Amino acid sequence: MDTIDEEAAAKVAVDHLDLWYGDFQALKDISLTMPEGKVTAMIGPSGCGKSTLLRTLNRMCDLAEAVRHEGSVTVDGTDVFGVDPNELRLKVGMVFQHPNPFPMSIKDNVCYGPRRHAEVSHADLDELTETSLRRAGLWDEVKDDLSHDALGLSGGQQQRLCIARAIAMGPEVLLMDEPTSALDPISTGMVEELMRELSRDHTVIVVTHNMQQATRVSDKCAFFLLGELVEAGPTPELFAHPKDKRTEDYLTGRFG
Amino acid sequence: MPKHRLERCGLTVTGACVALVTVLVVTLIVMVASHGLATFANDGIAVGDFLLGTTWNPHQADANGNPTVGALPMICGSFAVTILSTVIALPIAIGSAIFVVEVAPGFGRRVFQPLIELLVGIPSVVYGLIGLSVVVAWTRSWSGSTGYGILSASIVLAVMVLPTVTSLSIDALASVPHEYREGSYALGCTRWQTIWNVVLRSATPSLMTATILGMTRAFGESLAVQMVIGNSAQIPGSLLTPASTLTSVLTMGMGNEAMGTVYNDVLWSLALLLMAMSLVFILIIHLIGGRGAVRHG
Repeated sequence: MDTIDEEAAAKVAVDHLDLWYGDFQALKDISLTMPEGKVTAMIGPSGCGKSTLLRTLNRMCDLAEAVRHEGSVTVDGTDVFGVDPNELRLKVGMVFQHPNPFPMSIKDNVCYGPRRHAEVSHADLDELTETSLRRAGLWDEVKDDLSHDALGLSGGQQQRLCIARAIAMGPEVLLMDEPTSALDPISTGMVEELMRELSRDHTVIVVTHNMQQATRVSDKCAFFLLGELVEAGPTPELFAHPKDKRTEDYLTGRFG
Repeated sequence: MPKHRLERCGLTVTGACVALVTVLVVTLIVMVASHGLATFANDGIAVGDFLLGTTWNPHQADANGNPTVGALPMICGSFAVTILSTVIALPIAIGSAIFVVEVAPGFGRRVFQPLIELLVGIPSVVYGLIGLSVVVAWTRSWSGSTGYGILSASIVLAVMVLPTVTSLSIDALASVPHEYREGSYALGCTRWQTIWNVVLRSATPSLMTATILGMTRAFGESLAVQMVIGNSAQIPGSLLTPASTLTSVLTMGMGNEAMGTVYNDVLWSLALLLMAMSLVFILIIHLIGGRGAVRHG
């Protein structure tokens, strides 16, 4: 039934996960796998828990107060709650809803992670900056301005810089939390194209409000509602033949 | 009241307020400047002798028959206490700001910040009194000196500027966007890596403003300093010997000298110097503020 999972091994697996913020249960018994080297999209109306689940995968949810969970989340079979979150985040990178480059030069932004984690020489950093920016499709636009302030870039450029900054760490999984919701249509197109390309080397997991975006970029799609996973499956199948009435209602625009 | 009269009345009243403030500031500057410059214009004292002369004794004439009014001891004293007090206060201010913003925000909001604001309101004479009975006594107890001097003055000043600098540092760190921190955490950085490389770095312009505002306060404080510095107008040879600052000499001397005498004019010159320094500090703050605004533009 889940054909993608048969072709590609599950990189990330969520198993019977419940999560509470204080007394509020944000995730209810979620079980879902994200296949390696594919784009998995999580869709659903606001407050359905999709961003919370995404933030659980690299334990950014730890930053909130009074968070409690039951069940397991594994990356490559290793429980994420059993490892140092800082080590986990080297392997599981993240791009946020609003572009958040640091107030420093473009190059310093890309090199921020590597400088903190490895002893690297200047030549390596130059090379790393170029490869990362090239892969994020930003190199040609900024190659002469690497020492310029990153905050001077346009919103779309800033978001691609954030992608370059994340992939400079060489993560195996890349989480994207509504990465295009603050961008104009042209920048959105560029970032979507980038997601497809990046899925060749990384497992990409994207949260999106935009169902068209989910159909354009994702291989697998999961629909969430009120903290529950309603259904998940290969994207074309989910959109063409939703099994659950609620999915059908959402996809046809009857609510949300 | 008819509508058009209300309009005119409002314009007149608010306009008059602005005019009054402007006139006040201008008169103040002109008055201090005219008296301060009289030393050089009317009393025939060279600017160089005033700024670089090392002997302060306006009642005595030097070899050329001019009063000896070298202000360098006080200039040195003022800068010494300002810089030393900042060096003492700044690490404590930034350290506690980091703790209450990054580590325990709830405690910071509910307990620490109200406490700090309480400290700002304490009159300087109280600080001076405590300085006199505690700091001077403490310095005396281990140094073998009188206890009066730049070190004691700097410690008292450090305590006085600490609330201002801490409070402004807290604001500076709190205004660093949360997205920067998340971005750093998402790259596998620890809390202290994030604080050091992102939070402090992006807050640097505001932290510098906080520092300079603290320095401005330290530079201009007179009463508490005068109580603990020893008031001896000589170039400070050590941190433990009595010294004096521009402000302490002013408060000590102003009441005793008749208007129009050379001594009185020279005191005005000291006031002019103080005012000029304050303007420089404010200018620096504006320069930093301008740069910060461009960065976050």
